Parts: sequence; C-alpha cells; structure tokens
Amino acid sequence: MFSERVQPENVEFDVHTDEMLINMGPQHPSTHGVLRLVLRTDGEIVTEVTPHIGYLHRCVEKIGENLTPRQFLPYTDRLDYLAGMNMNLGWALTVEKLLGLKVSEKTRHLRVIVAELSRIASHLVAACCYGLDLGSFTPFMWAFRERELILNLFEDLCGTRLTYSYITVGGVTDDLPAGWLQKCATFLDQFEPVIDEFHAVLTSNAVFIRRTAGIGVLSPTMALDYGCTGPVLRGSGVDWDLRRDGEPFCTEMYEDYTYQVIAETDGKYPQDHPYPPVPPAARLGDCWHRFYVRMLEVVQSAFLVRQAMEKYAQAGGKVDEPFPLKKKLPKGEAYLETEAPKGQMGFMIISDGSPVPYRVRVRSSSFCNLSVTSELCRGVLVADVPAIVGSLDLVLGEIDR
Amino acid sequence: MTELLTNILSPSWLAYAIAAAIQCALLLVVALASAAVFIWLERKVSARIQDRLGPTRVGGRFGWLQPPADGLKLLCKEDIIPAAADRLLFRVAPYISFCSAFCVFLALPFANGWVALRLDVGVFFILAVAGIEVFGVILGGYASGSKWSLYGAMREAAQVVSYEVPLALCVVVPVLLTGSMDLVEIGNRQAGWFTNWYVLHDPFTFVTFWVYATCAVASTNRAPFDLAEAESELVAGFLTEYSGFRWVIFFMAEYASMFVVSGLAAVLFLGGWNGPIPIAGLLHLGSDPDTATGFIANLLGLGNFLIKTVAGVTCVIWLRWTLPRLRIDQVMTTCLKYCVPLASAMLAGAVLWTYLCPGGLIARARHSLTIAAEQQHAPTQERK
Amino acid sequence: MEAINWHGFFFLFFAIVACAFAMAVVVADNIVRMACYLVVSLGAVAGLYFLAQAEFLGAVQLMVYVGGTMVLLVFGVMLTARGPLASMRTGGGQWIMAAIAGGALLAMLLQAAFSVSDWAAPKTIQEQAAVEGSPSARLGLGLMGVRVDQLEQPNLMLRRGMSGHLLAFEIISVHLVVVLVGAAYLARAKRRLDHKQAKDDQRP
Repeated sequence: MFSERVQPENVEFDVHTDEMLINMGPQHPSTHGVLRLVLRTDGEIVTEVTPHIGYLHRCVEKIGENLTPRQFLPYTDRLDYLAGMNMNLGWALTVEKLLGLKVSEKTRHLRVIVAELSRIASHLVAACCYGLDLGSFTPFMWAFRERELILNLFEDLCGTRLTYSYITVGGVTDDLPAGWLQKCATFLDQFEPVIDEFHAVLTSNAVFIRRTAGIGVLSPTMALDYGCTGPVLRGSGVDWDLRRDGEPFCTEMYEDYTYQVIAETDGKYPQDHPYPPVPPAARLGDCWHRFYVRMLEVVQSAFLVRQAMEKYAQAGGKVDEPFPLKKKLPKGEAYLETEAPKGQMGFMIISDGSPVPYRVRVRSSSFCNLSVTSELCRGVLVADVPAIVGSLDLVLGEIDR
Repeated sequence: MTELLTNILSPSWLAYAIAAAIQCALLLVVALASAAVFIWLERKVSARIQDRLGPTRVGGRFGWLQPPADGLKLLCKEDIIPAAADRLLFRVAPYISFCSAFCVFLALPFANGWVALRLDVGVFFILAVAGIEVFGVILGGYASGSKWSLYGAMREAAQVVSYEVPLALCVVVPVLLTGSMDLVEIGNRQAGWFTNWYVLHDPFTFVTFWVYATCAVASTNRAPFDLAEAESELVAGFLTEYSGFRWVIFFMAEYASMFVVSGLAAVLFLGGWNGPIPIAGLLHLGSDPDTATGFIANLLGLGNFLIKTVAGVTCVIWLRWTLPRLRIDQVMTTCLKYCVPLASAMLAGAVLWTYLCPGGLIARARHSLTIAAEQQHAPTQERK
Repeated sequence: MEAINWHGFFFLFFAIVACAFAMAVVVADNIVRMACYLVVSLGAVAGLYFLAQAEFLGAVQLMVYVGGTMVLLVFGVMLTARGPLASMRTGGGQWIMAAIAGGALLAMLLQAAFSVSDWAAPKTIQEQAAVEGSPSARLGLGLMGVRVDQLEQPNLMLRRGMSGHLLAFEIISVHLVVVLVGAAYLARAKRRLDHKQAKDDQRP
C-alpha cells in the first residue's frame, strides 16, 4: 500500500477516519497463546502495538528456589512446551556447568538426537501455525501429522508426548528402547520428501510471499539491540548460532558434527541441499526470511539426527545415570545459554551449598523477540500484525514463566 | 400445476396461492439442499486435502447426514444477542443475505426451459439481486455492536462492491456473443459439440472465463479472498456475534451463492446443460420438454448442468484449502489493477473478434479464401 | 374479478410497503435504521416495476439504487453516525414545514396522475398493449440512437434529426467518469513532506 519512498508518518489523507483502540487477545486464535496486543489503528493502519503479557505467569523462578535441580526439571518442560527437550537440555547443561559434570559420549549423542528431533517438531509447529495465521489451513494439518510421528517416538522413549523431563542433570532418565533407532530412521526417510510439500504450499506460494515478503523488516542492528536471537536474528542476516559460536560447554555437545548455520551470508543461503529459491520481493530481515530460516533449519536438524544416530550406535560405553536427587550443590553460580528452537534460552542457577538453589533465573528467547513487536508493527496494516507476530514464533510459556 | 389446482379447488385465488407456495417451496428446497450438499462436500474435500477423512459416522460410512445433524444442533443453541447490538437489524441481517442469494435461483436455468422465471434480462437480474447480499453483511457487522464485526463488514462490503464491476464486465462477454441477456438463450446457443462452448469460442472469452472465476470467488468471499471471515485475524469478522440458527442462515447464503456463481459460469461459459457430446441430438430426442423424449433430453441436460456446477464448486473449495488469505489492500489491488483492466480489454477484444470473424476463425478463413478464389476467377472470366 | 385479484393484491402490497417504509424513514430516530427503511422502500418500488413487467427497469432499480446508492449511504451513515448525528430528533417547527412541502408535492402529483385520461379507469391485463420485441432490446437500441417508437419515418428530413437517447447516454457516461475521477482524487493520499521540510527549515 505504501511505496518504499513514502513513510506512513508523511502521508495525509483529505478524508480522515477515526482512530480505534483494538484489543487482540488474550483469547484470540492467532496470538499464539495468551498474549494481549493492544493496537491503536487509524482506519486500517496500525500506529502502535502494545503487548501485554503475564497471563501465563506461574512463578516458575520462585518455585526453583524450593526444589532441587532434578525436581525442577518438569517445570522447564512447561516453559517452551513445544520444544520440551531443548528446555530440559538447557537446564541440565547449566546445572552440569555448576557441578563441573561431563557426560559420556553416548549420552552426548543421545542428547543431540533428541534435541534436534524436538527442534524439528518445534519448527514444524511454528512454520505451519504461521501458515494458519495467514489463512492456509492445509500445511498445519500436514505438519501435525509429521509432529505426531515425532511425538510417537518420544512416547516410546520416555512415556510422554509433550512434557518429557527426559534430559536431566547428569544424563538422561533412560536409554533408548530396542528398535527405536530403526523407527527414527524410518521417520526421517519418510519425512524428508514431505518437506518439499511444505515448500510448495508455503515457501514458494505466491500468495504467501505477497503476505510475508517485505513485511516486518528487522534490521540486524535493531535485532541485536533488542536482544533477538535464533531464527529471528538469523533471518536478518546475522550469522550467529550458539551451537557453533557459544560457550565451550554448549558447543562441546555439537563437536565434530557437520551442519550449516542457516543465515544469509554474502547474499546467499547455504547451498548444501536443493532449497527453494529466495523470491525477489523478499527483503532480508522480513517475515519470509525468518520463515525460510526455520524451514531450512528443519532440513539441517534432520541431517544432524542422522549423524547422531550413527555416532550413538558406534559409541561405546553406557548412557549416564542422572545426578542424585538430593545431593548438595557446590556453592557458586552458573549461567549458560543454549540454542533452543526459538532463540537463545539462558538458565542461571545460584547455589549457596544446599541441595536447593538460592536463585533460579530463566532468560527467555521469546521475551526478547516479543519486545521488537512494537517497532516492527508501526505503520503496517492490521492484517500484517498476525503475520509479524507469527514470524517471531512466540510461546507465552517461556515469556511469562 | 396451476390449472390442475384450479380444477380441484373452487376458489381460484386459493389455487393460485397454493401453486405459488408450492413453487416457492420447491425452489427453496433446491437452494437448501444444494447448500447442505456443498457443506458436506467441503468437509470431505478439505479433509482429504489435509490428509484426514472428514465425517464418517453420521449416516453411514460417508457421513452424508452430517450437515442436517449440524443444522439440528445449531437450531437448538441458545439465542444470544449482544447487549450493544441493534436488535432489529441484528435479527434481520441474515435473512437479507439469504433472500438475495435465494432470489437468484429464480432466474437461473437448470436445463433448456427449466427455469423458475424466464426473464428477458436474466443475467442482469442475477447481477442486480446478487449485489443485495452485501447488505446483509453490512447490517450484520454494524448491528453486532462490536468493533471487530464492524471491521469485517467494512472490508467485506468494500471487496464485494468492488468486484461487482469486473464481474459484470466478464458477464457481458457471453451476452455480447449471444446478443441476448436471456440465460436460456445463451445456453441454447452453445448446443452441439463442446467446441461450441463460449470458453473455447475465442481467446478473449477464454481469458474472460478465468477472470470471471477470480471475481466470482472474490464476490462470494471465499479464500483467498475471505478476509471478512478471517478467523485468525478478526475472530470471525462480521460473523463474530452470530451463533446458532442465524449463523446457519448466513452460511446457507454463502453456499447458495457459491452454487449460483458456479451455475452462472456453467451456463455462460461452459455450455450450460449441453454436454461435450450432443447425445440428445444424436439420438434425435428432440428438444421440446413437453414430450417424453424431450423430457429425457432435458434430464440429461440437467445432469450436465449439475456436473459442471459441482465441479466448479469443488474447484472453489479446493482453492480455499490450498491458498493463504490475501490482505484487503492486495484484494483491492487485484480487483482494480488486474481484474478490471483485463476484463475491459477482453471485452474490447471480444467485440473486435465478433466484428472481424463473426462465425469463428475457420469460417472467416474460409470466407476470405472464397473471396480470394472468386477474385482470381473473375478477371479470367472477364478476359474471356 | 379473479384475474386481477393477485395482480392487484401485489400492487397494493408493494405500494403499501413503499409508502409505509418511506414514512418510517421520516419518522425514525436512529439514522442507520432510517437508511435501512429507505432500502426496503426502494426495493418495494423495484417490486412495482417487476409487477408492471418492466423487468429491466426493476433490475436496474435494484442494482443502482439498492445495490449502489444505498450501500454508499449506509456506509457513510455507519462511519459518521457518532455523537449528535446518531439519532435525529426533529422539532415541531420542522414537522410543520415538512408537512407543507410534502403535502404540496403530493397534491401536485395526485392532480397530475388523475388528469391523464388513459389512467383514469383501471385496465385489465388483457387490455394492455402487448410489447413488441423484448423491452430490453428496444431500450438498448434507443440508447444507441435508434428511435424505436418511430421506426418508419417516411419524411427523410425529420429522420435525420432523430437521435434517440444517444446524446443523453453519452452525457451521463461522461458525467459518471468525472464523478469517479473526482472521488479518486478526493480520497488520494498526499505527501506531507513539504510541511515537514518547511518545519525543518524554520528550525535554527
């Protein structure tokens, strides 16, 4: 509606319409949970967006002061409930950093399998709920069909489908059941061709491109200023992934794995697979690029799972037992950020020598990603607000804790 | 029927009244039945596209009784009118939409001569009455007393009213080719082999068909143009405050108008009740519907018409579940920058085509060759 | 008697609806309801046209008045019906003025209607003159400049001056184009850059 030369602030109409204050949520089909967005609109154009959060606050950090780290693990499941394994992983690694624990190779590879499968599941939900927000109902059903298969695998593994509490401090709760690796390989074999169907219906779809290309452009400086991480940051062209660039405690997990960090470098995305081309209308940092990064990361995660399965099968030894339930923690503090599907999840634990921590703090990736909403949504049409908010891939569980 | 009833009942005014009532009821049954069938079709087609099954329990393996069951359930729902609503307009709005969608059935022919009201200006009447449906939407949105509903109603009204223009322009092309606005006449002109169908008549009409398809989908508010009902953005737009029976009426109106728009496409462009192979003509069944053979021919024609209409509706359903939704400004851009110029250009092209080659390309070529041959012979004859 | 029963019935029905809802427009308070009553009134007039077998005109009435003008009116009313304009209350003096003006117009119309000799006695359907050819075809030809009511005019001199309704058609078409262009111009988006630059220039 506006050409790039004219900013919305500089346009005036002879016929003025009223300014409306519209409330989107907290019960709304497209705000990804209990998020309340108050829009100030002038006709069809949004002049201001104010997010209101806290509807899902459950005092998780305070609860962490009353429970031992292993007892606190189920609460981390419920932070980003769509990628429970990654939340468990973040917490487990943080406490292991405090304890100075190192897990065996077999455990490490097992953790990679499970974390990357969880990443695939989370990105499927993100990408296809995004399509749902824009009116494309079909890929949502297809994505959930694939996600059900992943959840079946997880159910075989730890008995639950959403809140796993599987990756725990010191190791994992149990080893893989017999035949699980075969099932996982079968899943990956049938899943990889299905990704092309998603590309056909979403990534390369002309209507989808019209709705997302050039919308909500986030510059790299603004992304870094607001603390955006994950696909939101990589979609703006910043080549930063904690699995490769983070702390040694975090990058050790992905040591000697081959994978590409999906970010546009020198105007091009990694070319290791036949990915769909970038349309000319898309600008770096817009909703389409954030979506594209997630779709490509799914392919990379599938590749990582295959490598991890091989390494796990070849690794000798046993999978580590979890840390004892009520053992005393050493005095000190540890903070570790890991690359969760939605961004960098940071966990902090301060211990005063007792089995129960003194303070637990969660740095939520979606919280910082949400903070950029009001900047991105200025001057867009009302229909673009779900497009922008959906592309940030927010989960209120981890924003509100 | 009127004569039959006049013979039975002594006061002829009663006979007339009952005859009229029966005819109205029949047409209403057609409208409602088509709506019910299309709701079932939508659920099945959408389910298959989404890798599911759809209704499989109510009424046997294919769930064909699901729409009546849903209708019954919705009838039993609590009648809620929002406190801020304008009560009279809120109640009346769905019926305006449905009445206008239903009135179009009056002029839509189902087979040769089988039309409730054979109007001289059939096409024009249909366009005029179909344009009233937007009133129900506007009133519904306004009378709900909610900002969201008002927003949805505004967007829908802007969209439908804008798309009436290219729709009318597209509809003029077959009228131009026939020389009459009578739909029965337009259908009859396409009798014979499928090459007689207007969509294959000339390239301009072929493009016009696709522009008509786009505008028809937009004017019935189906995806990708369904921002009025955009669930993920405005809850349900102007339908937000409607529940139970009133919602059913709005939905019946939408499906009835889908049938109408698809039926109109079938009659105007796809030959109407004429099949691809003129079976009735080959079997010499005759076209007079009062005779037995003519009646059978008309039944075949009705079957053709229904097949084409259902195919059209299936394509519209298919489109809904494949494509995302366009924004309002993109919808308006499509209308004003693409559909209107294209439709106007196609109209001009069709005019030129009918002027330059009135019988079609082959006839025109033959005609030119004949003239050239005559001119060649004439000088030699003169010399003789 | 029985032949005209339904025709008369529907004529009375549409006429009463048209008049009653026109009165309702005048009497109603809420402006949106006023617009809706006007829609019903104009729709009833379309019904009268259909009853008189002027289908083209009935369809035009529906398309232009109900589908076009009234949509615009309802839109405008809905968007601007805030505050003092939401409900219109007319004072006593305005009622008297309206009664005088309306009554005068009504008297004039009645006098004109009753003075036409053809309309004095009610006709049955069979006595009405059959229309030759379809009315829409004749209308279309008339708009293109053919005088369909006097197709055979023996006098060549008179025939040259007969142009049907072509001139009126052209004038109205141009008028509509001007209206469209004007509306688009009024609703356009202007740049406010010059004001901003002027402000920047004024700053030291």
